[in-house]
Amino acid sequence: MAKVFVGMSGGVDSSVAALLLKEHGHDVTGVYMKNWSKDLPGMKCPWAEDLADAKRVAVKLGIDFEVWDFEKEYHDKVVEYMLDEFKKGNTPNPDVMCNQEIKFKLFFEKAMERGADYIATGHYARTSGSELLRAKDENKDQTYFLYRISDTAISHTLFPVGEMLKPEVKKLAKEKGLHNAYKKESMGVCFVGEVGMKDFLKEYIDIKPGEIREVESEKVLGYHEGAVFYTIGQRHGLYLSGVAGEANDGLPYYVVSKDLNKNIVYVSKNLNDSHIWTKELKIKDVILRKEAKNVLVRLRHRAPLIPATFDGETLFFENEVKRPAAGQSAVIYDGDICLGGGIII
Amino acid sequence: MIYLDHAAATPVSDKTLEAMKPYFLVDFFNPSSAYLPAKKVAHDFSEAKANIAHAIGAKENDLIITAGATEANNLAMTAISSEAKVLYLKTEHDSVRNPAKRFNSEEIAVDKNGRINLDDLKSKIDDNTELISVALANNELGTIQPLAEIAALVREIRLERLKNGSSRQLLLHSDASQATNLLDINVARLGVDLLTLNAAKVYGPKGVGALYISHDVRLKPLSVGGGQENGIRSGTENVPGVIGFASALTHAKEHLNGNRKKYANFRKILLNEIKDYELINKKHSLDNFVVLCFDGLDAERLIYLLEEREVYVSTGAACAASKGVRSHVLAAIGLSDSEINGSLRITLGETNTEEQIHEAAKIINEVVALERERIRRG
Repeated sequence: MAKVFVGMSGGVDSSVAALLLKEHGHDVTGVYMKNWSKDLPGMKCPWAEDLADAKRVAVKLGIDFEVWDFEKEYHDKVVEYMLDEFKKGNTPNPDVMCNQEIKFKLFFEKAMERGADYIATGHYARTSGSELLRAKDENKDQTYFLYRISDTAISHTLFPVGEMLKPEVKKLAKEKGLHNAYKKESMGVCFVGEVGMKDFLKEYIDIKPGEIREVESEKVLGYHEGAVFYTIGQRHGLYLSGVAGEANDGLPYYVVSKDLNKNIVYVSKNLNDSHIWTKELKIKDVILRKEAKNVLVRLRHRAPLIPATFDGETLFFENEVKRPAAGQSAVIYDGDICLGGGIII
Repeated sequence: MIYLDHAAATPVSDKTLEAMKPYFLVDFFNPSSAYLPAKKVAHDFSEAKANIAHAIGAKENDLIITAGATEANNLAMTAISSEAKVLYLKTEHDSVRNPAKRFNSEEIAVDKNGRINLDDLKSKIDDNTELISVALANNELGTIQPLAEIAALVREIRLERLKNGSSRQLLLHSDASQATNLLDINVARLGVDLLTLNAAKVYGPKGVGALYISHDVRLKPLSVGGGQENGIRSGTENVPGVIGFASALTHAKEHLNGNRKKYANFRKILLNEIKDYELINKKHSLDNFVVLCFDGLDAERLIYLLEEREVYVSTGAACAASKGVRSHVLAAIGLSDSEINGSLRITLGETNTEEQIHEAAKIINEVVALERERIRRG
């Protein structure tokens, strides 16, 4: 029997994680991490409902339950980082940062101080010693968000649902009478919930409208609400108008670059633009748990694994890949093992 | 199921539902339309509204129908000027506190039973004070306030202002949502200028309420349009809602005394049979409120355990609980954080039988024992 603190979000995955730990006879304490509770105009933050869902499951399992307040730390380490990155014109991934700084650092450390043998979460991933492994459910694998967590954390973390397929998790939750078996998964960034990042950013960043220009001709094709909202490669939500004939040939425009100083968003119809397709990706803040040259790379959550060679700072692909936005992560694998990764420059 | 949360919601009775039905299906006409069948609907609406008014000793024209108590409380605040000061009881519902906070406002202290501190009230009334809002009975404790005493004080101050040549108004508002079903309400006897009513707490439909205003009160509309409700609240009348409200209120009036005796007896049974608690609402409480503190326990956990046994209770107000905030009411009467954590609100009502009450006491004891055992092991 081990002493385990399990992070419970109120969702079905972490509820089933707690259930499995309890059934294995561990001494389990459920913890709701309160990272964000602020409502935004027109959007109610679901934290209190999520907390109630988590607590209800803990009570039904007969385990202890606590709320650990990390709001200040989350703001300082995750939200500030995220806003800074957006201001620089990048597209950060706050979930990666949240795992690195909050769940697998502060939560982990506090649990260890409280005498835990392990922490656990409802992530779809597996571990073996200090190795992080992809989940059994390839479609749900969340190692893309976990690649930056420390070796110490990995070797003291249990991912009880990592050996299961999502439908099995739901089925088990239903069989055991967990009320949240059918709870809708929260989409997007944890604290922004189902609401768009755009609405969130509007609250925190001064945004000015500006021009959308065609990169080749410098012609003004339309206007945008604020350059920080736009991600390289994006083709939706562009308000283009006024250039009859050119914009009406049915080909979509893509965002290819941004000039944040002049507040200009550049677009192109040329799918071969090097801003969109590339054979090389430079990454920074690299974490690599084991030296490797020939690797597999994941450029987006749930995207396929692509073979590449890695020289320590640049990934080389055999075929062109669609370039992810700067600030996103490239995660590196050797077979099932998640070796690490870095932030795309 | 044993439902012990009648302060949060009440079921609509068959009789009330039947009374409402024709106005959804047959007499669905817009009361403002010109043809005779519509005039009949207008007549029935007006009659129902008059019945609601009569139940509190008022006339039809003294009422503004609203979509519930929250709107009525907000509407009450339109009676004062923007630079006026508002005083409200520290234990008021958020639908009073939040609109009041848009003004220069102050809270009136309560004693350990949740009753108003009249000296504190007196000391906080200044020349700019235009509105005092004190719920007739509190929604978490059931505490009944001495409205007539407050009204007497208000009258004194009005006289004084007139003597001093000041024409500034001083109005007394009371939210009677929780009390309507348990007390015989008469606006003249209470001495209030504005009174909030809520159909949803008296076995009527949700989303229907009313604001009573005395002749001196001038409201400003929150929404404008076709000019219904004397121009104060535009929008096609909620005919079935008001018919249901009137039916429920008539029933409540008729059964008032019987129900009070029944609830007082149920309360006694609970207090006798439940073990190891501290009673929070000892005095001046509505008969159907039983607030118990289980020291060292987490009442929220008790709710989830009781829910598995199909016994439904609550901690403070339902809306406070869903926002994850600690009850400001229990804090106001001086309870510590751990006492607030351990406090359970039981509110009795028409769905309950004596047999259920014995059963509920038994289940509560079992669940409390279970939690104490879990803590002892840990």
